[in-house]
Amino acid sequence: MNNTQATTSGAGLRDVEKQAYREAFKLAWPTMPGVAAWGMVTGMAMVKSGMTIWQALGMTFTVFAGSAQLASIPLIAANVPIWVVFVTAMVVNLRFVIFSAALAPHFAHLPWYRRVWYGYFNADIMMGLFPRRFPASTIHQTEGKIGFFGGIGYSNWIAWQIGAVAGILLASQIPQSWGIGFAGTLALLGVMIPLIINSAALVGVVVASIVAIAAIGLPYRLGLLLAVILGMAAAMMVETAMEKKKDKT
Amino acid sequence: MNAVDTWITIGWLTVATFLTRSSFFLLGNAAKLPPRIQHALRYAPAAAMAAIVVPDLLMNGEVLDLTWANPKLLAAIGATVFFLTTRRLLETIVVGMALFTAIRLML
Repeated sequence: MNNTQATTSGAGLRDVEKQAYREAFKLAWPTMPGVAAWGMVTGMAMVKSGMTIWQALGMTFTVFAGSAQLASIPLIAANVPIWVVFVTAMVVNLRFVIFSAALAPHFAHLPWYRRVWYGYFNADIMMGLFPRRFPASTIHQTEGKIGFFGGIGYSNWIAWQIGAVAGILLASQIPQSWGIGFAGTLALLGVMIPLIINSAALVGVVVASIVAIAAIGLPYRLGLLLAVILGMAAAMMVETAMEKKKDKT
Repeated sequence: MNAVDTWITIGWLTVATFLTRSSFFLLGNAAKLPPRIQHALRYAPAAAMAAIVVPDLLMNGEVLDLTWANPKLLAAIGATVFFLTTRRLLETIVVGMALFTAIRLML
């Protein structure tokens, strides 16, 4: 795109970021209903577990982590020690550590407080969209990244919170049988399909799916993390095998 | 839990969010991963999404449900076909939810 043009003036740079922000927002907004639906399910789960409306609002605005919240809500209701809830949330969130390892090098030039700020918006949709626009090969270029990251991160946060607040307030009105959370799954499905860029990625997806199903009984949703790691490893093995084959011919 | 404990728990969960989401962001240049690992991370997002999406489609609790009576599976197949032909994400979510609801009500 227009990353090749050298923009040295402050005003020019700001324009690049603004443009990247708009580009990212356009990419992210079709996921917003799915993200909101997912937030809604989480909001409903909090209230239905016996949390007050204020506790649920406080939790959604700060914790901002669907699967970790869904995992910790029944633990809070069951009066489990606080450290157990904390460890559970850490483990459920471990995939974000992998995401941040992939995304953080793009922001290494920023001061630490801005890195922490952007890190907070690192999410599934972000990981689905950011590397498609800025692959690892662009790590040393800085233009457009803050704008692009913000365009996805802020709209994702807002969509999530709109859904969560609606879920908290409407908890008693919406029947479980409607399966609203399925919209979130569909949104992730639509973000995932374009990520299957080659046969190595396809193998990674198949292996991750099988491992996730086989390991569903593991505590702390460790199966999810195991699936990501083995899926990645499988994809790399296929890629290496393909390259070797190419070298021979 | 009493109210105070619940708020303390919410505080710790916020810490968990920052520690995981911001982990490598906070480390900055202090943690440079080897190129091979960085390369492998390209495949992480698709694998992570598959690990979230596929069990939701195929599992009913802890039991595998690969039958025609699984509305999520059928709706997801329809949504995938729709997405592959149109590449329109928002419409895919709408079509998938409509299929899911229709199949659920028919069964």
